[in-house]
Amino acid sequence: MTTGSFLYPMLEDGERDPAALLADLARSAEAKAVESAQLRSTTLADRAQDLSRVAAAMASAISAGGRLFTFGNGGSATDAAGLAALFASPAAGRAVPARSLVADTAVLTALANDVGVEVVFARQLMAHARAGDIAVGLSTSGGSANVLRAFTEGRRRGMLTVGLAGYSGGAMATCPELDYCLAVDGQSVHRTQEAQSALAHALWELVQDLLGKLTRLDSEENR
Amino acid sequence: MTVAAAPDLDPATGFPAGLAQDLAAASLLLARRLHAGGTLWCASPAWPHHAQHVAVEFVHPVIVGKPALAAVALAAHQLTPTARANMSPGDVLIAIGPADDPGVLDLVRRAPAWGVTALWVGSGDRPPAGSADHVLWLPNDEMAAHDGRFILLYHLLWELAHVCLEHRGVLEPEPDCDGPVCITCSDEGRLAEVVSASGPTAQVRIDGVLEEADLALVGDVGVHDLLVVHAGMAITRLDAAGATRP
Repeated sequence: MTTGSFLYPMLEDGERDPAALLADLARSAEAKAVESAQLRSTTLADRAQDLSRVAAAMASAISAGGRLFTFGNGGSATDAAGLAALFASPAAGRAVPARSLVADTAVLTALANDVGVEVVFARQLMAHARAGDIAVGLSTSGGSANVLRAFTEGRRRGMLTVGLAGYSGGAMATCPELDYCLAVDGQSVHRTQEAQSALAHALWELVQDLLGKLTRLDSEENR
Repeated sequence: MTVAAAPDLDPATGFPAGLAQDLAAASLLLARRLHAGGTLWCASPAWPHHAQHVAVEFVHPVIVGKPALAAVALAAHQLTPTARANMSPGDVLIAIGPADDPGVLDLVRRAPAWGVTALWVGSGDRPPAGSADHVLWLPNDEMAAHDGRFILLYHLLWELAHVCLEHRGVLEPEPDCDGPVCITCSDEGRLAEVVSASGPTAQVRIDGVLEEADLALVGDVGVHDLLVVHAGMAITRLDAAGATRP
């Protein structure tokens, strides 16, 4: 299967029969699905070591009472909400205190209107975060100013700071306030977001595994 | 955490047979509705963030130069009443959720009465055939909602719909009566939602249009009940559990 560009050359402007377009669209969907599956799979393989380190740090923070705060803008805001929901209310496994900082429109609009959009996450961390909590920020570009600013605030408050980014990390890759940056090396925004979601899901699975092991160790020590 | 495919999925795409074609057809339908002034309504009671992701994708595209399109995420609270109040004939619903999601089931079964085209994205056990105009489904895997594969499906809808929108010639809707049998005019029962009832007749909504229906065969009905209406006569009442369409 080719993954080259689809220029839909057979369709002239006046073309009205959709059959040729539909066939081309289906081939395009398959090619993009192949790209997505490959990027998700290579990202998970390439980041396996980083994922294990981040999961270990998160699991030990959670075991010590740490809470997870997630944030991002636009599509990344929805992915942040999805990640918080996965941790807080998984279909199976241990529920962990986790919530997204994009959920409350009153807080978001108050901060954006009264101060500026660059503080919408950092100010919430000022109000809520304690040492030992976890900040996970998502940015497909890696450069969202309000996400970077939240990492600065998170570090100041003694949080574990984790970034999920596209484009090899962007500004997040060199952000000094970030403990870990999990980056996708994708060219397309859409394929990158899909791979970011695969990373986030893998992270959740690893943390669940580690929490299970830590709980078993605890109960053996207390016996 | 692997992206391994189940045996009945294409190992390269991770898609079951026919999904790429379903995506293509759904995208063309969506492009036609949006081109004609329709709105895309996104609903996901189980995973509200997916509904919001679809909406933001269409309203504020990540690719510079692509036009903003009318899409809205519906909140899970009071989903059906909010949808009923806001949706117009010619709109499109994209519902994201498992086959047994009661909120999604209620929306997709009412959509024909409202004149709304329904797309249903999900994974696991597949809904019954005909539950929505297009069912875009990843079988056998509950994790698809979380590991990027649902996002892929609606990203593809966005990408393919934009390709269609660049081919103006295919955007004109297909004529309703282009063959020997026309569904609108033929002997077929049509789904109706009761708007108000008084005595022997009810005002009902069919394909988004208000009509009178004779209740002699079905007896008393309540507001928002679903009926099958044939030639102005209500012939069946659909109970809440029956998700099938007439």
